[in-house]
Amino acid sequence: MNHRGRDRRGASNSLRALALCTVLALAFAACGSSRRSGNTTGNTGASTPGGTTPIVDTSNCPAGQDSVGVSGNTITLGTSLPESGLYAPFTAILKGERSYFNYLNAQGGVEVPKGSGKKYQIKLVDKDDAYDAARTVTNVNSLINDTKVFSLFNVVGTKNNLGARDTVNSDCVPDLLIASGAVQWGNTKFPWMLGSELVPYPLEVRVFVDYLKKNKPNAKIAVLKANDDFGQSYAETLTELIKGTNLTVVQTQGYDPESSDVKSAVTSLAATKADAFLLGATLLACPNALTAMGDAGWKPIVYMSGTCVSKLLLGAAGKNADGLLTVTPLVDPADPGNASLPAMQLYMQQVKKYSDADATDGIVAYGWTTAALMARILENSPKLTRSSVMETARNFKDGKGIGLELPGATWDTSATDWFLGETFQLITYDATAGHTKPLGPLVNLDGKTAELSPQSLLHS
Amino acid sequence: MSLFLTQLMNGIGNGAIYASLALALVLIYRTTGILNFAQGEMALYSTYLFWYFTDRGLPVIVAILLTVVLSFIGGAVIERVVIRPVEKSSPLVLVIVTIGMFLALNSIVQVQFGSDIKTNLPRAYPRHVWRPGDVQISTDTLVLVGVLILECLVLYLLFQHTKLGLAFRAVSSNPESSRLAGVPAGRMLMLGWALAAALGALAGCLIIPTLGLQASSMQSILVFSFAAAALGGFDSPVGAVVGGLIVGVAQSLTTQYIKSLSDIVLVVPFALILIVLMVRPQGLFGSRRVERV
Amino acid sequence: MTSRRQLQMIGLAASIVALVVLSVIPHLTSATDTQRWAQALYIGMAAMGLNILTGYNGQVSIGHGAFFGLGAYTTALLMHQHGWQFLPTLLVSAPLCFVVGVLIGFPALRVKGLYLALVTLGLAVLFPDLTKHYVHVTGGTNLVALNRTELEPPQWVPTWLSAIGRDDQWAYYVTFALTVVLVIATYLMVRSRFGRALIAVRDHEAAAETVGINAARIKVLAFGLSALYAGLAGSCSVLVDHLANADKVQTFQLSIKFLVAVVIGGAATVIGPLIGAGIVVGLQWFISEVLPRHLGSIGILKRTLGNPAASPAIFGILLILFVFVMPDGIVGGLRRFWARLMSGRSGAPPPTPAPLTT
Repeated sequence: MNHRGRDRRGASNSLRALALCTVLALAFAACGSSRRSGNTTGNTGASTPGGTTPIVDTSNCPAGQDSVGVSGNTITLGTSLPESGLYAPFTAILKGERSYFNYLNAQGGVEVPKGSGKKYQIKLVDKDDAYDAARTVTNVNSLINDTKVFSLFNVVGTKNNLGARDTVNSDCVPDLLIASGAVQWGNTKFPWMLGSELVPYPLEVRVFVDYLKKNKPNAKIAVLKANDDFGQSYAETLTELIKGTNLTVVQTQGYDPESSDVKSAVTSLAATKADAFLLGATLLACPNALTAMGDAGWKPIVYMSGTCVSKLLLGAAGKNADGLLTVTPLVDPADPGNASLPAMQLYMQQVKKYSDADATDGIVAYGWTTAALMARILENSPKLTRSSVMETARNFKDGKGIGLELPGATWDTSATDWFLGETFQLITYDATAGHTKPLGPLVNLDGKTAELSPQSLLHS
Repeated sequence: MSLFLTQLMNGIGNGAIYASLALALVLIYRTTGILNFAQGEMALYSTYLFWYFTDRGLPVIVAILLTVVLSFIGGAVIERVVIRPVEKSSPLVLVIVTIGMFLALNSIVQVQFGSDIKTNLPRAYPRHVWRPGDVQISTDTLVLVGVLILECLVLYLLFQHTKLGLAFRAVSSNPESSRLAGVPAGRMLMLGWALAAALGALAGCLIIPTLGLQASSMQSILVFSFAAAALGGFDSPVGAVVGGLIVGVAQSLTTQYIKSLSDIVLVVPFALILIVLMVRPQGLFGSRRVERV
Repeated sequence: MTSRRQLQMIGLAASIVALVVLSVIPHLTSATDTQRWAQALYIGMAAMGLNILTGYNGQVSIGHGAFFGLGAYTTALLMHQHGWQFLPTLLVSAPLCFVVGVLIGFPALRVKGLYLALVTLGLAVLFPDLTKHYVHVTGGTNLVALNRTELEPPQWVPTWLSAIGRDDQWAYYVTFALTVVLVIATYLMVRSRFGRALIAVRDHEAAAETVGINAARIKVLAFGLSALYAGLAGSCSVLVDHLANADKVQTFQLSIKFLVAVVIGGAATVIGPLIGAGIVVGLQWFISEVLPRHLGSIGILKRTLGNPAASPAIFGILLILFVFVMPDGIVGGLRRFWARLMSGRSGAPPPTPAPLTT
């Protein structure tokens, strides 16, 4: 169900694309289609490594911009994230990222392409946007035009990236590894945006629904969601995915993300005595909701958003978080059982060396791993150009062992699969032990995000 | 019925939070005649101090006392250093100064203590929730309301029954005349700010352990505290408390019973305020200003 | 020549110089900096509007971010969802904001001073929630992001005004032109009967009524006009920032920014708010971009100046220091300075500027 329109217009600076298209047109007589209509069931085009039609159409890209950001042996990356204000706790991501890049640079840098012997230092320029979408757009424009970065990296926030979407796609600048599990990055009209390894929100809901179907098929579900696009995506997906099952949503309450006061909302939900509780919340609202739930004497099956998986937040909820379900794409740094893994030891060492961050914080681990993923994408690119790197990212084949990636996970993309974080671990929180524990085998929903997402969001 | 009572208790709990800060706002208004935008951030800074002390192992009660004392002093210093130089300027200028403090304190807190979330701030009392007949009563709410009542009593006794209180009232109603009468106006002003800061600090130490501490913790509370003070009347401590309780209860009852407004819950408290102010422009308990022509 | 006349001539000369400089800015600076100048201009527009209400008429509002947002969303939705060109949207956003402002002005008659300020705060806080409830455009969020095609200047705009790929220049010039129009309008308004009525109602409402001024009408009109200015500013911001977005923190901060600009520049002066806006935007840029780059790497200062979370602190402290030194704003300060200069020559006591009472 992955729609892809093709836009063919006149002379281009990517002769290769034109040539390939001509070949295909002769071969299949189906290459042409109407302009950028996104709704045509265009051919999905096999992307065999022999070099068939690229997934990313570079025919309208400004000329001569393909190698911007690479000078000498330095690749400049740019990011925009909240370093002040309400979402300042996400600065921890930056600390993880920098630790990785510092470690990599100390080893000589990233080799692009792998095996060529040519190594590059990575320079990361960060800008503060205080989570304000308007500032992100300004930052992105500045990074592209003034700082002249090669690629954007791990820009935080759904709205923030949506605001910059048009610029990034018109200027053909890769916006890689967006820090948001939103499904809008699967919109094929905007091929220069790639989400990071965060589990897409609909997959979280899917996992929860599957769990309920198996363990409590007639469950009544209560939902607490943040009053923003983040919370909305959980609620909408749940409504979609319970169609045709015996599960019902009995009440949905919203809360103001700027205040994290959820007591009355949860009290109201608790009064329904629902069997299950979907917590589409983040930051302090998570422990507060769990506490309110405990206070009400309500003991449903809880699913908590993966964005709250942090020793700090779960610890604050204490007993009330015991047994809740959530997911993670990474190995949990707060679990002492993982301490002996070589990838974990490296991570702990380097984070301690290069920053003052708490390495057991999942947010730092996320930053580290995403940086490692960026390096891997670069390594896999045959050429150090924006179009080549973006094409590689769209056609990513997981070589395993990226940062704190779960052993056995597959992070890959293809012409029909626009999401990375589709294999992950269902986990449960053990309040006595103080850390999460895996529940069951690795979940593999590779390639399924698009069909599980509310279509209105996917194509918006 | 039990659900209604529980939400009522929730509302009272939240209301007590707003009222605590509103009380401090009223105090400042009665001394300096302005709206102190920085009230929440002053309380925030105090709360971070509290966290700092408890993080370093101080027993909770000691930490609270230390924080309140330091905040008391801090409030007086702020009045002397930041407010006094502009006290004769227009109220607009004073508001700008408090806005400057608001921005500065919020940011200083992040630089000094870090922008990460702090959880598990200790309470001075055991946390317990009773559930008689499905109604939730938590010690958090009881303690907060109890402290609030105590504060009101103390302030009442102070202002109505002591010489200090008399001097205070003199200065806030007419600084010039009271100076002529020999009342040390400057010191009274400092006292007002010091008390407000101490009240805010106590409020923070009691509230934040239930909510979690981060740099934005006080901002939404502040908005509701403004609303509470406006509803009750800016120059009335009783009004602040009643206003706070009304706002809190309105909020939680709306959440429970008017679900269609679930994402615009704020409409209710503000609509309430507008209605009240249309009927009584000085707030429920405020005093009318007489304007001489 | 009297000193007052001399002051007026200097003011005029300064204005002309400023006009010339501002008109060539986009050709001298990068796109990012042009955007900043344009931001200063639209903040100035909104601040001028707020000044009419607060400076000249004494009604304090900390909710004008809501009117700004209303203008922004009107323009953005018309352009994005209905394909309108920018200028026609002003014909909708300006009257709409005026009407809403007037509607708010009526209940505001009953509510005075501090209480009014808080009711307007309610506006600023409610508006974003309302947009989240009713607007689901870009990606299903309440963000309305315009794409490049929509932001292009219309055909009749000469190319020197909008170099291809530099639609920031078009955005700048539109904002600049509107600002000039509003400055002239404000100047005329202040010197008209309406302007004097505004001040009369501010200073002594009861007395004003006795000389036949309909205080209620004046106050309501003031609200409407200030909302109109803010709405126009919001519309311009869509061109300049390429989007319309409202969230609580941001709407509140905008409202505060307008107020700060009014006070720093000089309340109850025509050009003061514009200067104030320039200072506010410039200072924020200086603190978050320039300082960290040049001083942020020096060891001791790294923790403070190099830390993005520290910018509001520096700004707040500078703001406080500023009003210590110049409580009646830049324009007020300049006037006092000029008066002292003049009195120094002629030996006469310096005329004291009229105190602002609210």
